[in-house]
Amino acid sequence: MNERLIAMKNRVRDGEHRSLRQDNSIDILPECETLQLSWSRRVARLVRRQCEAESVIIAPEERIVFTRTLPGVPAIYSPEEWAKLTAGQTLHELGSVSNICADWRLLLSQGLVGRKQVALATRVRLANDQKAIEFLDSAVETIDAVLELANRYAAGARGNGREEIATIFDHVPSYPARTFHEALQSLRLCHAVVWLSGHYHVGLGRFDQYMWPYLASEFQTGHLTIETAEELLAEFFIAMNKDSDLYPGVQQGDNGQSLTLGGVTPDGVSAVNELTRMVLRVSRDLALIDPKINLRISAQTDLDLLVLATELTRIGLGFPQYSNDDVIIPALVSHGYALEDARDYVVAACWEFIIPGRGMEVVNIGAVSFPAAVDQAIRVSLANQEDFEAMLGRVSKNINEQVHQLGEAYSRLVVPPAPYYSVFMQGCLEYGKDLSDGLKYNNFGIHGACVANAVDALAAVKQFIYEEGSLSSADLLSALDANFVGYEPLRRKLAEEASKVGNNTATADELMVKLFDDLADACEMYGRTPRGGILRPGSGSAMYYIWLATGHTGMREPVVGATADGRRSGEPFSANLSPSLGIPVRGPISMLQSFAKIDYRRIFNGGPITMELSDSVFRNPESIRKTAMLVRTFAQLGCQQLQLNSLSRETLLDAKQHPENHKNLIVRVWGWSGYFCELAPEYQDQIIARHYFE
Amino acid sequence: MTKGIIFDLKELAIHDGPGIRTTVFLKGCPMSCQWCHNPEGQSRQPQVIRSPVGERMAGKVYTAVELAALLNQQVGILRANEGGITFSGGEPLLQADFVAEVIDLLDEMHVLLDTSGYGEEQDFRKLVDRSDLVFFDLKLMDGIAHRHYTGCDNTMILSNLQLLNKMGKPFVVRVPLVPGVTETYQNLNGIVQTLRGMSGLLRVDLLPYNKAAGAKYRYAGMEFKPEYNESQVLNPDTALFEQAGIKVTIV
Repeated sequence: MNERLIAMKNRVRDGEHRSLRQDNSIDILPECETLQLSWSRRVARLVRRQCEAESVIIAPEERIVFTRTLPGVPAIYSPEEWAKLTAGQTLHELGSVSNICADWRLLLSQGLVGRKQVALATRVRLANDQKAIEFLDSAVETIDAVLELANRYAAGARGNGREEIATIFDHVPSYPARTFHEALQSLRLCHAVVWLSGHYHVGLGRFDQYMWPYLASEFQTGHLTIETAEELLAEFFIAMNKDSDLYPGVQQGDNGQSLTLGGVTPDGVSAVNELTRMVLRVSRDLALIDPKINLRISAQTDLDLLVLATELTRIGLGFPQYSNDDVIIPALVSHGYALEDARDYVVAACWEFIIPGRGMEVVNIGAVSFPAAVDQAIRVSLANQEDFEAMLGRVSKNINEQVHQLGEAYSRLVVPPAPYYSVFMQGCLEYGKDLSDGLKYNNFGIHGACVANAVDALAAVKQFIYEEGSLSSADLLSALDANFVGYEPLRRKLAEEASKVGNNTATADELMVKLFDDLADACEMYGRTPRGGILRPGSGSAMYYIWLATGHTGMREPVVGATADGRRSGEPFSANLSPSLGIPVRGPISMLQSFAKIDYRRIFNGGPITMELSDSVFRNPESIRKTAMLVRTFAQLGCQQLQLNSLSRETLLDAKQHPENHKNLIVRVWGWSGYFCELAPEYQDQIIARHYFE
Repeated sequence: MTKGIIFDLKELAIHDGPGIRTTVFLKGCPMSCQWCHNPEGQSRQPQVIRSPVGERMAGKVYTAVELAALLNQQVGILRANEGGITFSGGEPLLQADFVAEVIDLLDEMHVLLDTSGYGEEQDFRKLVDRSDLVFFDLKLMDGIAHRHYTGCDNTMILSNLQLLNKMGKPFVVRVPLVPGVTETYQNLNGIVQTLRGMSGLLRVDLLPYNKAAGAKYRYAGMEFKPEYNESQVLNPDTALFEQAGIKVTIV
């Protein structure tokens, strides 16, 4: 990386651009109320006023411009009206549409003027359809607003003597991009306006696919070299890191700006190109948390590409995250996705597989708490002296009930109109339908959270009480009630001597498969949702590894106390698919073998095997190649998703003591990477407590 | 049925030979090198290790059948990734019958013996015969210094080295670089003179001193008392090896 880029990166990390931010958000509520605008028109007006209120910032060193200056997104309803509007209905998280993926090809290949023409043509065709007219007028209002903002940027650039930038804005986002630079600028502006509109977890999709044609043609003509193109790409990535503090998330960094690489073309052949490798290199050299890189691989992926990806892992950003096409594509197809769509999947904010431009899917409507399902079953069955089969029956029933409750809550889901986001979705402008009315795919996702601790508890009970008889029900129940105070030898027996998930041992792994089968059964039994989709079961834990142990405001799931795996009350669960914390583990290979047993044809909502490798593992090219082989093994074993983190426990401990020395220390928290020193202490401690393979 | 004791089974042992490997650390070693970085490998008895991350037991007894069954679970993966099993320690020669039986029970895969060379000739032959590659540690050429720093005579080690070369097995010689002790010109030159012309020698690996070793003694309830300056900067003369036509790497 050259000095110019290093200086740009440092300015963004130091937050220089934040001094340009306006003090207050705009207020559009009076306008919405006076004009008595409909919901759709209010959202459109919001986009328009936000664009109008943005100041034009032409930073002297930037070639890809746009700096957000508005600190917030204003309300379009008063709290009372909002409560009335949504009464009796379920809002997903913050309410606004999030965590879906646009088809950015529509922007780059048609331009906003092209999209507007589509809208206007549909408007003529559907002149008698009031709902369609309202949506299309709303969408056009947002398009005009962005075009106007682009015009102001052109004028601002010209006024600053930046003719190159002015010329680019003369052309994009209005018209189809002609160059790589234009494509990046067009995407930068239109993507940022999605955030400005109050949407969040705004992903970048299959960047190496839709951007490649622009780059390839310029490589051919000689207008760009790999080096000059990588510099532009780096500038684009730096820009993606400007507004992390303005994005809503459970913790800062949890912003869903993910980008997917690799995979296959619609014909099923490898889609890897030079841009795939460029993104991996630039991301490695920049060492910033955004965009978050996902790499689609298969058992056949070249080891050289995995070596390059491992070099990115080595610098400790917690990505790339790997997704295995060999298992994901067939699973999507068997659940109703068209083959060419399944081949086009991207990874959502964290893990879930979605189709860009074709999905209004809510991939994380909540978590099934495996620990709660198992803990309740253990306590009741032991108290009633039931056999192990009866206990398992209770577990299944509990899982089914939790799925049913989540499904019922989301049967009343209200999806607010999203006229601007709809511009970049397939069919919305073409058929006069807002994306909130549904797209081609409208499924919901549910994650089975914290499986390892839950299974370990069940395995210990099976082994010690039902098989060996080395432990009595009464003793276990008393120990659990006492939170193991006075029962330390028993706690250690539970924690250290039983069969554990992640060690490739039969007892625990069979129970893990069973729990996931129960989850898949429950989702299938639930059937269709009112939005016409199904429930997709997954294996992520998100923040539930903390929340289920400590509780959190607004959480539907119960808090779980001390558990029969020897975990004390309040201690965190393990993240996603990883062994319980503080237990003996055999190693990375056993871990992959263990989690390969899950039936990913049914558990297909994502949720990665999460593995920490000590940074000493990445010492030289030979060990990096071996780590790449481990990634290939993950795919060959038929696992679904993998996130590998390179960390040093000593560094993390030191960062807690001396945060000032570790400002740039990055960690993978659950499905995203953030700065360690910006995390709440309970998340820091959970990461420190993970298993580090050396 | 032969039983053995091991103190660790390490998967993805990145630095213990070619490809993806699992290393079996056998518990018990006749030597007591001052710089030993696996002090829990010295005693043949199980022992408690108390570290900041908690308390654990080092030392688990397996029958050869049990251990081989465990290792065979991964044979496909290890083979597909140019790897196999490494037997290290401690000192595998001290449990030669057990190790030999485990190897005989393994499915076809690459076996690496990582040894100090300190053991009876028949035990050495038994394990070398069953291995595809040998990592042979050489520490000090001077007999008196060797006894002083490792607690053992080096005569048996040097004769096993000659035997290894005669047996025609490919081998790598590994030299721990201990500041002012093994990394001296005199010692490295002695090693070069001994190795010169050995046909089975693939290369020499120089292993920089690991300062983290000290803490492990405390965790194992043992005393760490190095008679050398741990912080002294290493400056091994690698040219010595190159001039003798010996390939050398610093690991």
